[in-house]
Amino acid sequence: MNSTTPNTPNSPQKAKKKGPLRTEAIVPFFIVVALIFVYFHFFFDYTLKKTFEFAGYQLLGAEVDIDKIETSFFGGTFRAQNIQITNAEKPTHNSVTIGDIRFGILWDGLLRAKFIVNEMAVEKIEIDSPRKSPGKVKPPAKEVAKSNQPSTLDKASQEAKDAALKGVEQQYSGNALGDIASLLSAGSGGGNSLNGLEGTLASKQKLKEVEADFQAKQKKWNEKLKALPNNQEIQALGQRFSKVKTKDFKSPAEIQQSLQEISEILKDANQKYQTVQSLSNDLNSDLKSFDQQMKDLDALIKKDTETLQARLKIPQLDAKSLSQAIFAQYMGKYLRMFNRYKAMADQYIPPDILKKKKTAPDPSMVPHPRARGVTYEFGRPNAYPLFWVKKVSISSKAGDSPYSGNIQGLITDITSNQALIGLPTIATLSGDFPSQQVNGLFIKATIDATQSESRITFDGKVGSYPLESKQLITSPEVNIGFQKASGHLETQGELKGLKDFSFTLSNEFQKVDYAIQAQNSTAQDILKNIFAGIPTVTLNAQGKGILPLLSELDVNSNLGPELQKGLSKQLQKKIDEAKAQLKDFMDKNVGSEKAKLSSQVDQQKAQVEGQLKKTEDQINAQKSQGNTKMNQTQKDSTNQATKGIEDQLKKAIGPEADKKINDLKKQFGL
Amino acid sequence: MSLLLKQIFQFFRLLNSDTGTNPLAAGLACGLILGFSPFLSLQTLIVLICCFFFRIQLGGALLSAFFFKFIAYLIDPISDPLGRSVLESSTLHPLFVSLYNIPFIPLTRFNNSVVMGSGLIGLILLVPAFFLFKAGIIKYRATVVAKYKQSKIWKFWAATSVYKWYSKYEQFYG
Repeated sequence: MNSTTPNTPNSPQKAKKKGPLRTEAIVPFFIVVALIFVYFHFFFDYTLKKTFEFAGYQLLGAEVDIDKIETSFFGGTFRAQNIQITNAEKPTHNSVTIGDIRFGILWDGLLRAKFIVNEMAVEKIEIDSPRKSPGKVKPPAKEVAKSNQPSTLDKASQEAKDAALKGVEQQYSGNALGDIASLLSAGSGGGNSLNGLEGTLASKQKLKEVEADFQAKQKKWNEKLKALPNNQEIQALGQRFSKVKTKDFKSPAEIQQSLQEISEILKDANQKYQTVQSLSNDLNSDLKSFDQQMKDLDALIKKDTETLQARLKIPQLDAKSLSQAIFAQYMGKYLRMFNRYKAMADQYIPPDILKKKKTAPDPSMVPHPRARGVTYEFGRPNAYPLFWVKKVSISSKAGDSPYSGNIQGLITDITSNQALIGLPTIATLSGDFPSQQVNGLFIKATIDATQSESRITFDGKVGSYPLESKQLITSPEVNIGFQKASGHLETQGELKGLKDFSFTLSNEFQKVDYAIQAQNSTAQDILKNIFAGIPTVTLNAQGKGILPLLSELDVNSNLGPELQKGLSKQLQKKIDEAKAQLKDFMDKNVGSEKAKLSSQVDQQKAQVEGQLKKTEDQINAQKSQGNTKMNQTQKDSTNQATKGIEDQLKKAIGPEADKKINDLKKQFGL
Repeated sequence: MSLLLKQIFQFFRLLNSDTGTNPLAAGLACGLILGFSPFLSLQTLIVLICCFFFRIQLGGALLSAFFFKFIAYLIDPISDPLGRSVLESSTLHPLFVSLYNIPFIPLTRFNNSVVMGSGLIGLILLVPAFFLFKAGIIKYRATVVAKYKQSKIWKFWAATSVYKWYSKYEQFYG
């Protein structure tokens, strides 16, 4: 192996001694630099374009296409052209198309590892433009789960969706208009019979259990009552008391004996009293548990009544319920969409940026400490944050393309550290899309993380926009929607700490052409007549709560009162009949039995309580007699003892004994 | 790739030869810095350029970096709190504010607690590691290589014509 080394003495060619600098590395170094240059010059833009398209698809759940991306390393510039975002609900169209995005990055910032953009230009905005070919839409999370492990985003968005849906469904359980249609087309009770449903009543089952329990308890109470001290036993106590000597004692031993006898009789009386007390306590405990069972039974009766009401399809014919029922599906869709974007923000926006409240970490997303660490920003006044786009100017002119609009907008201070620059992110956008008949668009949003809790506010308005084939209610019995309408929308809202959400919404639909279809032609005619008299529909909603659920959601619409007015003539009688039928059914199966049981319970309770009280009073009377006797005995014995001592003193002292005894008494204060 | 493999083979060849203990030890010590630093950082670039232009054994540096990357991964629970305590030190705060706001220095990502902690550990261990590696190489050559060269298997291999041809080739073109 020595022969392989360059400096061995046997080597025919002595290697030249090499210095500390590796001069032969210069050529490879330049080759590496050239390769890097070639990559960035020819392939980097393409790689970036593909990366953005992939990330966009993953984030938005719909295909994102970018025609061209141009970057310049030395100029620090970026330009993306014709960005098309597929509409996930209508893949043949784009939801938004942005013609041009360009900005320059400050080298001054890059040298400090900061991404600083003075001004970004966003131009040529189009909405709802058709695509050359339908865009790819990401399958829903549930479908993904069948084949693969769902991604964390999918899971988060699905959970948010489910929770939001649950919230809306809880709020508007049942389909009131579907039920109304059924009732219109059928007789009382919607044609549904209650026959054969007796066995399904949970309250009836519970009533049987309570009855069985009551009978068992009744037996127990009767047995215990038998064990109570009877009249003779209590009278015997009195007789024993009367036999005890309480006066004319001849010796202290007699007094002692009497007191002992009284104590023993009192002890017996107390034992009997405790027996009565124990039974009384048992009875009270049993009665409490029984009361609870009766309350449970009442709750079950209520639940059964509601279930049967749903089964009979008896609708609520009040304006509010009708308004909520009509707009539940319409609003639920937007709430789900909002929750989806909120879930995305929760997952992808770093915690420090929006000061998200701490939540339990998702185990599948726990990063390794190597990747985590803590990154500090050592800011100082006028210093750059890690990321800062100072200004985004949005402009678009109608006529550039058939789908573009007149849009002016400004977004200021998109940054990773609002506290450092002391400015919130504010976005304003206004304009029209004439070809789509969208006019008076105005959006203002503020994202403020300069305080301890992040606050996002939004204020939006659309003067007018067209609605086509918008379905409000879809159910097997009835479908109601807007065939055509012109909408006006105003909304405001606030989201604190990415959790606490409140909003108001005011929506007005004019020149409404309804699309109404009901299974039954009578119902269809009635509904068509009613809706024909409602050319303008208003929807006012406000809600607040901790996302994804909205604990308070109030929906009002003029459709509610109008429908109530129109339907009450047709339906009120049928509804009353159905409710009466339901009441009869419940009374027959549960109500009468429950009343009977309640009466039995009250009767038994009165009987047991009366007997207990009577026994308790008798024992107390005997105890009182015993205590009187004991007091009398003690008094008598004290008097006798005093008299005996005085007599002995008189004998010992002589004639002046009375005087001396009185003096002595005075001395002792007696 | 072949360039990297060549460097790694060169490292083993030099390790088993009689010369070049300093380049080898320096390479291994530089690998320690590389292993303890994030891949995309200024200090990694500087160390790689040094390995490239100075006579530091690159194969040794890469092998050592590979090994120390695992060590750095294991000692993250120590590096993180160490980095935090340094970065949160009020005495050093003005220095960090200046460093953070001057060009290039933020590219080291010194403001991350793990990077700062592992970087400090790497720097502290750099010089002792160089001397330890040097002593280790000398010891290795004196014991393992010498003993191996005395073995019958090696003598048999060294006597073969294949080996002789290879030796000649090495002398002229190696």
